[in-house]
Amino acid sequence: MADIELSHIDKRYADAEALAVRDLSLHVADGEFMVLVGPSGCGKTTALRMVAGLEDITEGELRIGGQVVNDVPPRGRDIAFIFQNYALYPHMSVYDNMAFGLKLAKVDKAARDERVRRASGILGLDEYLDRKPRALSGGQQQRVAMGRAIVREPQAFLMDEPLSNLDAKLRVSMRAELARLQRDLNVTTIYVTHDQVEAMTMGDRIAVIRKGELQQVGSPTELFGWPHNLFVAEFIGSPSMNLVESRLRLEDDSVYADIGGQPVLVDPKTLSERPALRGYVGKPLIVGIRPQDFEAGVVGTPQRGGHLRTKVELVEALGTETNVYFFVDAPPVITDEVRELAADLGKDEAARIERRARQGRNEFIARVDPKTQVKVGDILDLSVDTAQLHFFDPTTGQHILYGAGQRDRIEVDSRRPGVDGSTASP
Amino acid sequence: MASVAARTRRVQKKGTRSHGPINVYVIVSVVLSVVFLLPLVWAVLRSFQPPSQITAAPSLKDFTHLTLANYSGLINGNIQILRYVENSLLVATGTALLTAVLATLAGYGFGRTRFRFRGANVVFALILVTLMVPFQAILTPLFLELSVLHLLDSRIGLVLFYSTFNLPFGVFVMRNNFLAIPNELDEAAYCDGATVLTTLRSVLLPLVTPGVATTMLYAFLFAWTEFLGALTFITNIKLLTLPVALLNVETGTFGQVNFGYLVAGAVIAMVPCAVLYVTLQRFYVTGITVGGVKG
Repeated sequence: MADIELSHIDKRYADAEALAVRDLSLHVADGEFMVLVGPSGCGKTTALRMVAGLEDITEGELRIGGQVVNDVPPRGRDIAFIFQNYALYPHMSVYDNMAFGLKLAKVDKAARDERVRRASGILGLDEYLDRKPRALSGGQQQRVAMGRAIVREPQAFLMDEPLSNLDAKLRVSMRAELARLQRDLNVTTIYVTHDQVEAMTMGDRIAVIRKGELQQVGSPTELFGWPHNLFVAEFIGSPSMNLVESRLRLEDDSVYADIGGQPVLVDPKTLSERPALRGYVGKPLIVGIRPQDFEAGVVGTPQRGGHLRTKVELVEALGTETNVYFFVDAPPVITDEVRELAADLGKDEAARIERRARQGRNEFIARVDPKTQVKVGDILDLSVDTAQLHFFDPTTGQHILYGAGQRDRIEVDSRRPGVDGSTASP
Repeated sequence: MASVAARTRRVQKKGTRSHGPINVYVIVSVVLSVVFLLPLVWAVLRSFQPPSQITAAPSLKDFTHLTLANYSGLINGNIQILRYVENSLLVATGTALLTAVLATLAGYGFGRTRFRFRGANVVFALILVTLMVPFQAILTPLFLELSVLHLLDSRIGLVLFYSTFNLPFGVFVMRNNFLAIPNELDEAAYCDGATVLTTLRSVLLPLVTPGVATTMLYAFLFAWTEFLGALTFITNIKLLTLPVALLNVETGTFGQVNFGYLVAGAVIAMVPCAVLYVTLQRFYVTGITVGGVKG
């Protein structure tokens, strides 16, 4: 067991101009499950490979268990790497795949056998020990890859999108299983994924990376509730945060945010906690509202000082919740970050973003109670939880600062929300 | 029979082929087999006939008096063919081993990203270009070179010469074999605690065995059948390889042309080739890397 510390790490590939990873500093505590998340090509895998020793570190220092290991080859770092394609040795049986590392470590035969059998017991691989990897299903191969890591009892697990080759259903169950396994073994883990849901459900803490730069590190609740910038706000949460260009207006000592012509009261408490906000009165800024922070009300009865009257454009009834789409007459927020994230989702999404930008209309999503009776074309009054509004500076994309004391609240979050024992499959 | 029927049914079920094309395929294959096998069978049968019958017009009843005289004459007579068989075996095996070792190492270098260097592709292209040079064109300089190195009239000299001309193809085959193995496999081994050499030996070599077998087979057959080089570089009669020795049988260095000896010698020369093909053939077919890695 050991902690991992990256300090000011840069990575430059020989044939590239830009840094693949820039000034990355991150401390992963002993036994912690740290997730690196970001769109494809953001440098998260490069960072992980540098920790493993599979990639040279251009600049900066890497410590595992307090030892500087910049120049130590992978075999001297005592880490286990789990690859996206599993990288099982095709010519070896499942048993030999798992025992290979122990053999190299000169663990004697009896101990080797005991450890392999224990791991195969945990992972339910007992009956497949004699098989070759190609005779296994994807999920089983994934387990063998896990087994190969477990038997070595390494200082740390490094996982590079280990679930992305599984089908959706298996991925969900393996997700819970993997997270539980990590907690039981209490091995320091760095886990790379581009899937924010995976990150939110598995990580003790999440590091969001964009273009090789660390955007924010924090617990899932922290990232969700207090995103430091537009990128994190857009990236974390599904459906993603509604963003709109707005202006703050002062009226009778209350501050209102203008959302497509409709005033929404800014909670006085928010205002006192974020004194910097007052400086934005009369100036443009970006307001973010999570789809979850809407509530469907009855027409004509505005609640708690903030509501939006909307015309329903589309209804998605998902059973557990209903997503209501509506337009807000304000220019949408199309920043580089938004474009980048859309491009990562595919061509269609990128085209949709550009279309929205041309129309100058902003599509909002509200997640409302599934019992709400709404249909397309309805006029709906949505109340807004005004204490949960997010404010960003339009030029820097940074969150308009919290006051002192606010950040402390963040630390009280529960460990690992969303993946408790109950959701883990046996 | 049952399995053939089952396979036919499967093929039909898939709907990719109907009965007609399968029959055509079988007929064409049979005809081709006959065309290719007939001369071989003819040679083998002839080698068991006394020389007088070989030169006579063929007739069915000739094949009722078969004899081992040609073989025993070749082996026990003043020709002593086994000496040349031994020479050829040594040279061909040596060539196969040397080529395999060098081609594997070179292929490993070209086929792994961790050994990439600027201009690697140019170097590899240069190696392939040498494939285009027929060695007959540079026989004289080669002769001079081997002479300076005191490698004329030497089986080691022949091995070096054959290996040189087999390496480009060998390197090409081995590079492709290594390229087919995902880099993650070595990386997994490194993380498991393996050194570069352990990784090559325990993880990569088992996976490129088909390539090694192919390389060895080609090198062996090249060395086994090569004639011009052996004729040029070897003058000591004791060191001759089988093809040159057989020529001597034909041109009558040992007296009159003995067609019985000649055809028996040819059959002896065929045996290792046939054995190798049959034993190593499965390596062309098996792709043992398939299925080990997903994605």
